[in-house]
Amino acid sequence: MPGICADKDATFCVRNRVLPFVTVLSKVISGWSPEKYCFGKMSSEAQTSGDGNVVGEAAGPSSSLLASEDSQVVEESLEMSEDVSSIPLRNWELENMIESVNSSDDIYKYDQKAQQDMLAAKPWTKDPHYFKYVKVSALALLKMVMHARSGGNLEVMGLMLGKIDGENMLVMDVFALPVEGTETRVNAQAAAYEYMAAYIDSAKHVGRLENAIGWYHSHPGYGCWLSGIDVSTQLLNQQFQEPFLAIVIDPTRTISAGKVNIGAFRTYPKGYKPPDDTSGEYQTIPLNKIEDFGVHCKQYYALEISYFKSALDKRLLESLWNKYWVSTLSSSSLLTNADYMTGQIVDLSEKLENAETQLNRIGSMYSFDAHDKKSEDKLSKATKDSKKLTIEGIHGLMSQVIKDQLFNKINLREIHEQNH
Amino acid sequence: METESRPGTSKEPVAVQPTAADRSVMAGAGAIGSVTVKLHPLVIMNISDHWTRLRAQEGKPKPVFGALIGKQTGRIMEIMNSFELQYTEENGVITINTTYYYTKEEQFKQVFKDLDFLGWYGSGGPPTESDVQIHQQICTFTESPIFLKLNPQAPSTDLPLSVYESVIDVADGTAVTRLVALSYTLATEEAERIGVDHVARVSNVSSATESLASEHLNSQHSSIVMLHHRIKLLLEYINAVKEDKLPRDHEILRLIHALCHRLPVLGSHQLKEDLHDQYNDVMLMTYLGVMSKGSQTMNQFISKFNVLYDRQSAARRLRGLFM
Repeated sequence: MPGICADKDATFCVRNRVLPFVTVLSKVISGWSPEKYCFGKMSSEAQTSGDGNVVGEAAGPSSSLLASEDSQVVEESLEMSEDVSSIPLRNWELENMIESVNSSDDIYKYDQKAQQDMLAAKPWTKDPHYFKYVKVSALALLKMVMHARSGGNLEVMGLMLGKIDGENMLVMDVFALPVEGTETRVNAQAAAYEYMAAYIDSAKHVGRLENAIGWYHSHPGYGCWLSGIDVSTQLLNQQFQEPFLAIVIDPTRTISAGKVNIGAFRTYPKGYKPPDDTSGEYQTIPLNKIEDFGVHCKQYYALEISYFKSALDKRLLESLWNKYWVSTLSSSSLLTNADYMTGQIVDLSEKLENAETQLNRIGSMYSFDAHDKKSEDKLSKATKDSKKLTIEGIHGLMSQVIKDQLFNKINLREIHEQNH
Repeated sequence: METESRPGTSKEPVAVQPTAADRSVMAGAGAIGSVTVKLHPLVIMNISDHWTRLRAQEGKPKPVFGALIGKQTGRIMEIMNSFELQYTEENGVITINTTYYYTKEEQFKQVFKDLDFLGWYGSGGPPTESDVQIHQQICTFTESPIFLKLNPQAPSTDLPLSVYESVIDVADGTAVTRLVALSYTLATEEAERIGVDHVARVSNVSSATESLASEHLNSQHSSIVMLHHRIKLLLEYINAVKEDKLPRDHEILRLIHALCHRLPVLGSHQLKEDLHDQYNDVMLMTYLGVMSKGSQTMNQFISKFNVLYDRQSAARRLRGLFM
């Protein structure tokens, strides 16, 4: 094939010039500190997200004004406003495919007899892959997210209450446990058995009749998967407390990506070989944890999560939107997540360096296809990570640009008019 | 602080107008609350869940009561979480089970070390005499608790929540506890907002068909539409006042004026510089992403090319190695 230097020169070029450049670039970016933006700490009154919150504040008094109903104009145009405001509302709930439980909200009823029957039958002992779906209530999700977030960079854990329904596991409620160090010892739950028993007992007095159905914990910043310790804990749980579920939630990635980062898992019993490689969505995992992930990732499987909410929940959430749109507009993910992003870039640069050294090593020998595949995998994984990071960065920037367009361009027109 | 000093505005919903029979419960119209309340949506969801499951189990709606916990710094109370309370009802008199409360208090102190008991919540319509009674019982747990009332069956589309605190009024020579309405705002923690958003519009099927960018832009778009709509409302109001169709309300006009005057603050030079800096930083990150993507594509292409067209030379070299 004329014209293309298909030999080692091009490979050499990519591997020895482009890749190092990319690695160096990533190192440069990772050397930034989050404080370099002065408006991050500009107005201490405007709090954390700099210009984002100033916008929020400007919108604050207006939102009280805008939400006020004692102006006659509002009442007059209320009918008109209903139509206009229902459009964004519908957009907002566009993909609402949850079963908005019907008016009797049956899912909240706890049928003691039916549950006991199901527990006695124990269909899961015959099929390790029996439970396939998890339904999480709106309240449970919110509680888990808030608890995980309140832990900051420390892992937190808690217990979930719920029931089973065929192949579904339903999580109705969760509560936090007063334990620490969930990532350093198996069965950290042992320390909290007393608390658990007391809590479940007192919950029964106020209509919370469900039993423990699983446990959840957080992996702040490093994704939703089960570490070696988690797998051992879950294996123990599935031996003695069946049916049991493990949920992992990542509050940092939730904020960074703008969507809830959560995963539900059940382990296979020891010695069981899963039928096929049902690998889930690819996740970026930091280098220091990737070994732990790789060793154990075949020992458990992920369940599909869906959410449900009651009719009252739905109504309240709709009304909440009337006040919440302000914070959606004024949130600034770049600032809130600056630390995390910098960490991700550092990690990415290390991965790229690894990929580079591997390619160089291989490149000096006469390469076989098998070797090529491995080094490509490293580079392609690193690329996937960088793509995800870039997308998140761009989303944050989009919000900033939108805010800039909306609120900062006012002066221009005034000055323009003054000059003409 | 303008939001807080106006209890007369309806941050509270329509349902709060006291009827003639309950007029003794609310303090006079001139009373202004002494604290401001920030409410987390989690509390609202908690109360809703409590009410829903009790209704599902008992078959008909029952009043629910519970405790509110959170932090208080000075005059600002932030209500972050809540739990249910047990009560017994005899002849319409509701008594809160104090032992239950103490066990629960011990429990939550273990997990949420820095949260305190701030008040209580109940469900139902406008506040009644029995609410005041319960409030007095709660006063034994903490001084000056606040009272949150959620109406799960309110017809209006606004948030059917009201917050009250108690004052001791002197009426007919005896000290009577009366309720004063407080204004509240919604606390906005980032993770909570995302959780609420997710729950409100989540779908069973993963949105693999929709690009991430369009999802993100959709939510931004919805908020902008709301903003636009609200500003249009304000504009109409001003026009109407100008044409003398509506009476002037100086307070509202002053607020609008203040709002317009805040905008130029955001155009400061320092801010522009920082915005550009941030823009450049994100662009650099994008550059990194694009470059690594490009180098990976190149690498793959070259390897594949090698497989196709280099076989002869590789084979020759191999034979050279092994022979």
